[in-house]
Amino acid sequence: MAGRWQWLHRLGSPRWFYATTTRWLPWLAGAMALLLAVGTVWALLYLPPDYQQGDTSRILVVHVAVAGASLSFFPLMAVAGTVTLVWRIKLADMVAKNAAPLGAWFSFLTLATGSIWGSVSWGTWWEWTDSRLVSMLFQFFLLLGVISLRAALDNSATAARACALLSIVGCINVVVIKYSVQWWNTLHQPPSPISMQVGSPNGPEFWVATAIMAVAVYLFLALSLILATRNEILERESKAQWVRELALGAT
Amino acid sequence: MLAELQFDSLQEFLAMGGYAFNVWSVYALFAVFVFANLALPLRRRRLILRRLAARGDLAQSPAAAEQSGWEVSTVGEELQEQQREQKEQREQEEQGTKP
Amino acid sequence: MMKPHRRKRLGLIVFIAVGMSIAAALTLFALRQNINMFYSPSQVAAGEVGAGELFRVGGMVKNGSVEQAQDSLAVRFVATDFVHDVAVDYEGILPDLFREGQGIVAEGRLDSAGVFQASRVLAKHDENYMSPEVKAALEQAGISPGKHRFRSAPEN
Repeated sequence: MAGRWQWLHRLGSPRWFYATTTRWLPWLAGAMALLLAVGTVWALLYLPPDYQQGDTSRILVVHVAVAGASLSFFPLMAVAGTVTLVWRIKLADMVAKNAAPLGAWFSFLTLATGSIWGSVSWGTWWEWTDSRLVSMLFQFFLLLGVISLRAALDNSATAARACALLSIVGCINVVVIKYSVQWWNTLHQPPSPISMQVGSPNGPEFWVATAIMAVAVYLFLALSLILATRNEILERESKAQWVRELALGAT
Repeated sequence: MLAELQFDSLQEFLAMGGYAFNVWSVYALFAVFVFANLALPLRRRRLILRRLAARGDLAQSPAAAEQSGWEVSTVGEELQEQQREQKEQREQEEQGTKP
Repeated sequence: MMKPHRRKRLGLIVFIAVGMSIAAALTLFALRQNINMFYSPSQVAAGEVGAGELFRVGGMVKNGSVEQAQDSLAVRFVATDFVHDVAVDYEGILPDLFREGQGIVAEGRLDSAGVFQASRVLAKHDENYMSPEVKAALEQAGISPGKHRFRSAPEN
């Protein structure tokens, strides 16, 4: 085990992960709650309405933050999957396993909020011909596929390898989602430019709320994923001495 | 100015310029999404700990761990072992200096 | 150094990932015209769409081109990509963001006179955000605030 890759094994120790995240959790939760509150209040009360969209632009603060974070699931699962396939480290798979359902939530919320915005702005809830919309829907189904694949395979190590491979291949779709609005004609608008000057088009008064919300949503992603992974550790390591001591001490 | 209050009254705020349904349903969905994905793992944690405490099974044997197809991480155990040794050593030293 | 069996596994993963990426890129390239949601007025003018075919055309609503009927929901306007124009006829409720100088996507067929008979009109919001005050100030200064830009996909 000695050598250049030893740090990976140390990092991959479920017990180390559990102890480290125990220290992080209060800070993570505090920062998330603060930024989520600031972002929401700013978006609902202080964001100036766009001259075309009016108050529906408040929807996009949530939509953009959640949509951006939803693109991080396949890359995250692919990195964890590669570690699973190459180094057979259990912790990486525990993270990947719990990322899939959370990613499905993120993708669903992206689709739902986009649809609610589009029903007013575009005049349609859904367009099958828009590549941005369809590729995001594909990501949602792909994540459901990863979840079902794991559920269908009895052997945990085989299931982990199959899901890891699907996650790596699924990253292609993330690239398609991201560039769909630039490669093809779509109803969906391309990403907005950012201006640093207050009072100019795309000025900070429009994007600061979204930026705060984006950080808050990433913190939420981390927090939720860590909580789920810790549960996974308790279950899979339930026979380890330290977990039993923890369970006895907690009740 | 970077941020100015956009509404003059509560009614105006709730009406959202005529898009009350769209704006409020998005924020309601967002609230459910955030709440559910924090509350459900916390609830599951309580259930797991309760179940584990009620059960007292033996530690997994190294042979069974080997068969699972996963790399066996011993870092936690190694650290624990190290700490125990250090503690014993300290205690021995303390005992050695006392009499 | 990485153990040989691990290096082999990593190599296999990279091989699969690269192979699948190339396959996906080739597929998307082959399907590129089908993936586009709409044709630009220039593509329509170039005769890329067959007569009577159901398709979508996307462009900016030309300033001053919207003619609303007095007694019905019928509307006629010109969609443009600033090179070619397409006249559009539509009867129905227009989306909230339908405005002159704003992007739209219309679905329908070309009639024998070359007028696009739309069964649906969608508004295409662009990526720029402005408050009504900024918009007014820019217009007063005689600056068209970038809303006129209508990007259609690169040449296919």
